Amino acid sequence: MNKKNIDILSKVESYYSDYGQRARELKNEGKKIIGYACSLVPLEIITAAGCIPFRIRGDVHDPITKGDTNLETIACPFYRSCFDQSVKGKYDFLDGSVVAHGCDSMTRTYAVWQYTLDLSYSHFINLPHTLSKSSMEFFRAELNTFIKSLGRFTGKEISDDALAEAIGLYNENRDKVKALYEFRKPDPPTVSGTEITKILTVGSSLPVTEANNLFDKVLEELGQREESPFKKARRIMIDGACVDNIELVKLIEDLGANVVIDTLCNGTRDNLPHTETKGDPLSALADRYLDKINCPRTYRENKDQDLQKELESRFGDIGFYAREFNVDAAILYVYKYCDPFGFEVPARKSYFDSIKLPVLYLEDEYSTGTIGQLKTRIQAFLEMIQ
Amino acid sequence: MKYFAGIDIGSTMTKVVIINNGIISSVIGPTGPEQRRLANKVMEEALNKAVLAFESINYIVATGYGRINVPFADKQVTEITCHAKGVANLFPEAKTVIDIGGQDSKGIKIDNGRPIDFVMNDKCAAGSGRFLEITADALGINIEEMGELALQSDNPAQISNICTIFAEQEVVNKLAEGIPLRDLVAGVLESLASRVSRMVKRLNVEETVVITGGVAKNAGLVKALSDKLGYHVSVPSEPLLTGAIGAALLGKDLVMKAEKDGQYLERKKRSLREIEIL
Amino acid sequence: MAEEKKKHKKRRTATKAAASIGPMVKAAIGGTIKAKEEGKKTAYSFIVCLYDEILRAMDIVPVWTENYAGVCGAKRDAERFLERAESLSFSRSLCTYALCGLGFDQWREELAEMPPDAPWGGQARPDMMLSSGQILCDPRNKWYQAAQQFMPDVPIHNVDLPYPFYEDDIHYSEVQDYYIKHIMEELRGLVAFLEKQTGTKMDYDRLRETVDLGERTWNLLHETYELRRAVPTPMGTGDAMNTMVPMAFMLGTQTAYDFYAELNKELKEKIARKEGVIENEKYRLLWGGGLPSWFALTDFNYFNSKGAVFPAETTYRMIQPIYNMYMPDTNDPIERLAWRWFGYWVYWYDQARKRPGSHPDVEWLIQYIEDYQIEGVVMHEAFSCRTWHLGLIWQLNQLAKIYKPIPVLMLGKDGSEKKSNRELPSLVLESDIIDITTYSEIDTRNRIDAFIETLESVKQSKTN
Repeated sequence: MNKKNIDILSKVESYYSDYGQRARELKNEGKKIIGYACSLVPLEIITAAGCIPFRIRGDVHDPITKGDTNLETIACPFYRSCFDQSVKGKYDFLDGSVVAHGCDSMTRTYAVWQYTLDLSYSHFINLPHTLSKSSMEFFRAELNTFIKSLGRFTGKEISDDALAEAIGLYNENRDKVKALYEFRKPDPPTVSGTEITKILTVGSSLPVTEANNLFDKVLEELGQREESPFKKARRIMIDGACVDNIELVKLIEDLGANVVIDTLCNGTRDNLPHTETKGDPLSALADRYLDKINCPRTYRENKDQDLQKELESRFGDIGFYAREFNVDAAILYVYKYCDPFGFEVPARKSYFDSIKLPVLYLEDEYSTGTIGQLKTRIQAFLEMIQ
Repeated sequence: MKYFAGIDIGSTMTKVVIINNGIISSVIGPTGPEQRRLANKVMEEALNKAVLAFESINYIVATGYGRINVPFADKQVTEITCHAKGVANLFPEAKTVIDIGGQDSKGIKIDNGRPIDFVMNDKCAAGSGRFLEITADALGINIEEMGELALQSDNPAQISNICTIFAEQEVVNKLAEGIPLRDLVAGVLESLASRVSRMVKRLNVEETVVITGGVAKNAGLVKALSDKLGYHVSVPSEPLLTGAIGAALLGKDLVMKAEKDGQYLERKKRSLREIEIL
Repeated sequence: MAEEKKKHKKRRTATKAAASIGPMVKAAIGGTIKAKEEGKKTAYSFIVCLYDEILRAMDIVPVWTENYAGVCGAKRDAERFLERAESLSFSRSLCTYALCGLGFDQWREELAEMPPDAPWGGQARPDMMLSSGQILCDPRNKWYQAAQQFMPDVPIHNVDLPYPFYEDDIHYSEVQDYYIKHIMEELRGLVAFLEKQTGTKMDYDRLRETVDLGERTWNLLHETYELRRAVPTPMGTGDAMNTMVPMAFMLGTQTAYDFYAELNKELKEKIARKEGVIENEKYRLLWGGGLPSWFALTDFNYFNSKGAVFPAETTYRMIQPIYNMYMPDTNDPIERLAWRWFGYWVYWYDQARKRPGSHPDVEWLIQYIEDYQIEGVVMHEAFSCRTWHLGLIWQLNQLAKIYKPIPVLMLGKDGSEKKSNRELPSLVLESDIIDITTYSEIDTRNRIDAFIETLESVKQSKTN
């Protein structure tokens, strides 16, 4: 095996376990680092402004302590952990943070972030909930407000060229992620879910040009794998929101299954939809972040009042990936206190039933403390689908 | 003659069952912190009762919360699969299993001896036997007395708190206020039955409903559960053993299937003595 | 269960107006059930969604699903509906109004009739459901969509109603043009949907009148509640949890306006007689945030028994005087509604900029503390509602940081007494809006007792 490429996977490991090390280096070089925690924040705009978008993560191994003095425990546990880590100084290299209108947990706590972390820059992007023509126009105007605001912060207006360039780079990034996912299609897959999770997580901590570079090297390395290092086993799909660490995937894979695809925020939801390059870039971005990203927070109208059609329009991407990647069963993984997914669980389960895919619904905290409980359920599920 | 063993390490009790065509021997002992040593001890006791040597066992399956702490087991299977198997063997018409253990409770839908859906509550003491232990203690009675006492009540007290700690406060207060003990105990059992049935209703409950686990011996609880679910709840004669029985039966299935395929399943360990307890 | 209901003490209200609400709500719920016979269309509706007057102008009967859940909660008969929702795989951590409604709806659909002994006759099956995507609340976006799984023939319309957040570097006037434009478009979209459902056209003259009545009701309610500044206060938050009903559920009707005119009169009479909520008013408190526990409104009476009253609250005070807002010179009722929405949400923004470290939510608290002579702040954390309960702890912390109005004498290190200023004492209560299993009366009362002692001790150490 190519030594250069063995190094790339150890580099991924290093960036994963010491998350943010590159951002810290870049900060010391004078770059501005802007933190975000949700897939709905337009990274292209941050990049076009000359700043580095940095995805804030929680820490499943670190119990939430300091964060609780200012933020209620009834918020999404993942988001609370992100806040807790921030308050503990884990991300003290951040110059600013951008919050999108994803869900109540992040929206209703915007002031708490603003005031507690006291960063030089803070901005809230108000995505509409519906997909009407007026919503798109409104969202375009909101993005424009964001551009002006970020321009004031950096002291430099964001040019159309810079925006077009950033859009191009992120589209490339998504093509590379798609290519990475191709390695999950064979049976057994050539790359594990655990590895992919690490690679993508690391990617979200780097400037897009460096992430693209890293993905290229990883693709080369994976291309060298003549046969899969893994065994043939049940092919599992994970459906849910933000899973920013390997613990769940690793648990499933340690129990003897292969996680081959997902519809997660840090997975396909975030990483695959492209931004249209023809026409007005702001409208294209509005379209990508509001419509192309399929997140339960965006309301998709049931136009025909046909339940089956509606499930298809809301969850069709799940069915698409399940077929493309030859999935045997799915795990629906939802955090406690999650409204957007919580309200959808019965509908999502119905959808899985309609495509005849066995599904295990797990409601979890954001902590390794629940691993034992998850293990029993996942193992029982795997025993059930034998 | 083939022999199969099942060992079920629960949070409060460890159970071993040895079978061939029926149950040859069974042992129930309290689980302690040293699960490995205990597993060995209970296994030895069961072997002695059956007058069998360790090497004569064809296959050992471990289940339960402590299943990873059984080094001499040939396979680990979750208690969901084992209870399904065990109950189906005792009650062929069973479709719903409710297991209430010392620290958790489960609901399992079964079909042909296999689980097809399940729900669990392993996050909250108030949905398990622990709730009864704590409230029995607070009321100054033995947990074994609870069932009969409750059945004497025709006016169960309403315990509104779901947290074990608050509920404990509440029953003590109510006792001081002069509410009859039997009504309080009935209220406590209703409270637990409520929580368990609430969880179980997430499955599509169908008859025959069978209850397992230590709490199944509590006739008052079984009645309360029956009332909440709207179905008769059957109780095995030895409700603590269904997991171990299922485990042993699963071992038997594996060995029989292997034979049909012309294979031989290796035992992991040749002797109990080999295991060093650290 | 019946035993428990009997033992549950009856709530006392301070005003006749508040006492009249129960029958009013019952009649309204009965009205929704009769609507079909009367040939009227019904619509599942949320409060504070800007469409009240629009519905009234088209004779559409709103079915207020949050209100119905509140009624089940107050009657302590919500558990069976919550359990049912759970059995459908809805997490117990979701909004318990929604869980109650979803459980109820699924049961009603399964039986093809009302569930047995449904409180006050039950919740009527709607002809349509009106969701609202806003910053306010995720359940307003997802609840009816989830309910549609049990009622696939009932259409939903989702009206998006954003408002701008408070930012350091952006004044709301910079964004108001496109916000107002979008809000107006969304309202027009809603009107179009309703026209299609009813087969009738909107009568804009009628809407103009209804909106005008709504605006006058807002102003009247503001002036009425301001009467509670009196010492002793004639009305507390306990009553306000009742008197919010016309504002939240009947806006745009003459009934609502008349109700507040009556309340206004009643409060003025009480003030003239120097009649307060209680005889010996010792502590004036602000209910600074959090929906109440509908099953434990008697807790307000418990506060009263300790000499504490609540002259003001932010919860369900969802109005501000229109005459203090920007309102363009226009006859278009849709435009007026849009500006009213916008003006309400940015009401405290300019004031907040004037005080270092402040924020509109905190500024609102400070204003009431000063206007109503408040000595302590109470927050209620209801676990299932992220909308109204995230940020309450931070608000208290920030308030304590920037606003220290109580002069006290502190003992310095050298033994001498030093004048210092401290923040208001505060109390956080925890349970839920509907789910009674989260409520511990013993624990709640303990906390209230301890808080009263704190209030007393601060009072003692207060200097001039």
